[in-house]
Amino acid sequence: MTEFFGYPRPDGSVGIRNTLLILAGTVYANKLCAHVASLIQGAIAIEHPLGRTQVKPDLRLTRRFLSGTGANPNVGGVVIVDHFQELGCTAEDIAQDISPTGKLIATVNIRKSGGLISATEKATRYALEIARQLSNQRREAAPLSKLIFGMNCGTSDTTSGLSSNPATGLCSDKIIAEGGRSIMAETTEWMGAEVWLTGKAVSKEVADKIMAGVADMEARALASGEDIRGSQPTGDNILGGLTTIEEKSMGACKKAGNSPIVDYLDIAMPPGSQPGLYVMYGPGHGAESISSIAAAGSQVLVFSTGGGHTISHPIMPTIKVTGHQESWDLMKDTMELNVSGVLRGEISLEQAGQMVFDEVLATCNGRLTKSEILKDDNSFAIHRVGISI
Amino acid sequence: MKTVFVIEAADNVGTAVLEDLIRQGDTVGTTGRITDVTVTARADIPYGHKIALRPIKKGEQVMKYGLSIGTATEDIQPGDHVHIHNVESNRGRGDLAAAGKK
Repeated sequence: MTEFFGYPRPDGSVGIRNTLLILAGTVYANKLCAHVASLIQGAIAIEHPLGRTQVKPDLRLTRRFLSGTGANPNVGGVVIVDHFQELGCTAEDIAQDISPTGKLIATVNIRKSGGLISATEKATRYALEIARQLSNQRREAAPLSKLIFGMNCGTSDTTSGLSSNPATGLCSDKIIAEGGRSIMAETTEWMGAEVWLTGKAVSKEVADKIMAGVADMEARALASGEDIRGSQPTGDNILGGLTTIEEKSMGACKKAGNSPIVDYLDIAMPPGSQPGLYVMYGPGHGAESISSIAAAGSQVLVFSTGGGHTISHPIMPTIKVTGHQESWDLMKDTMELNVSGVLRGEISLEQAGQMVFDEVLATCNGRLTKSEILKDDNSFAIHRVGISI
Repeated sequence: MKTVFVIEAADNVGTAVLEDLIRQGDTVGTTGRITDVTVTARADIPYGHKIALRPIKKGEQVMKYGLSIGTATEDIQPGDHVHIHNVESNRGRGDLAAAGKK
């Protein structure tokens, strides 16, 4: 049995970081949150442009993303700030959603606090107290079954499906074999690989949900005048050697590894308790996709990329892996692993999978990603379905 | 010898993934899940593109990742460049669907 050392939470989950989150409930609390985080050691602010004048389905999504992020095991405590009461997504609503985790929570309303300066003082004092308490907590041994492993790909090229994606899938298989759970999102990239994916589903019910998810995403895109089949593969993809959408999607879906799909999740919804691979509805947009996986409770994510990437979630360490030597040479400032040896025949896919697994385990034990060290937490984004009103 | 990468044993194409470009007439071997096939390139194979490892008859499936990625639209010889000129998606193409509606 493999163990990692993490922060045990009152609800039985285990974090791999002990972040104090300063969470903006609305766009108008963003700068206050960033300011407070800059004053407090170990604090990270999450900013976003939403939380006001959204259509109801979008307001519910915003709340789900914010609450899920606050509830993520990597968050030790959270200060939530809003500026006015947006019914259905107030700081108190979000706090109530997070409270079953038993973690330290404080809320600040800018208006009720008497304006920006008083609210900044109040939030800073809450953060100070929570930071003191978090600094008492120590890492303890936990089984790998406590892990929810996230997988995503982006800026993909011909190397992705042949090296970094299958290596990520083999890592996922190892985690699932230890009783853990994995989440793969990006519904747009299942299109053309549906038969393969549904063949991995544990039941007809799960297979039907996968097909319905793909149909829904395709219809939503068509309603916006975008036929995903027409743009996939893109002109660039075709120049790069991708011939059909099946080829492109199969390359992406190699992240799924060889494990059966135990259930289908709506966007940003937590998986069930059963170990195994979960597929989640969501867009190909990298920041929205990894943010939905973090909001579902994933503590660590491997991002497989052909062209190289800077993507990094504020509270979920984002490990970047490439199988493209040139991309590694250009982008290694923000990347952890180079598995291009697979394509040169120097290492096997199984060895590459072990490299990814070892990196994930080290990250769970506290090794910082390069993006964490560089404070380049650039990728928090909330999916939306409608217009601003 | 130049090589292409093969991800599953059931595949009938390999992918050019090394910077050393494959030219028409080159002898090409394989790495990955198939290591014992050698073909002579019948065309230049750009980086990222596919080469046939076996004969694929018109109407047969082009296999990569151990699965069909499309149907051959003409007879393909070992060493041929395999791409949009001789493979068609089974899932359909949005641009053709849009043209059909017009």
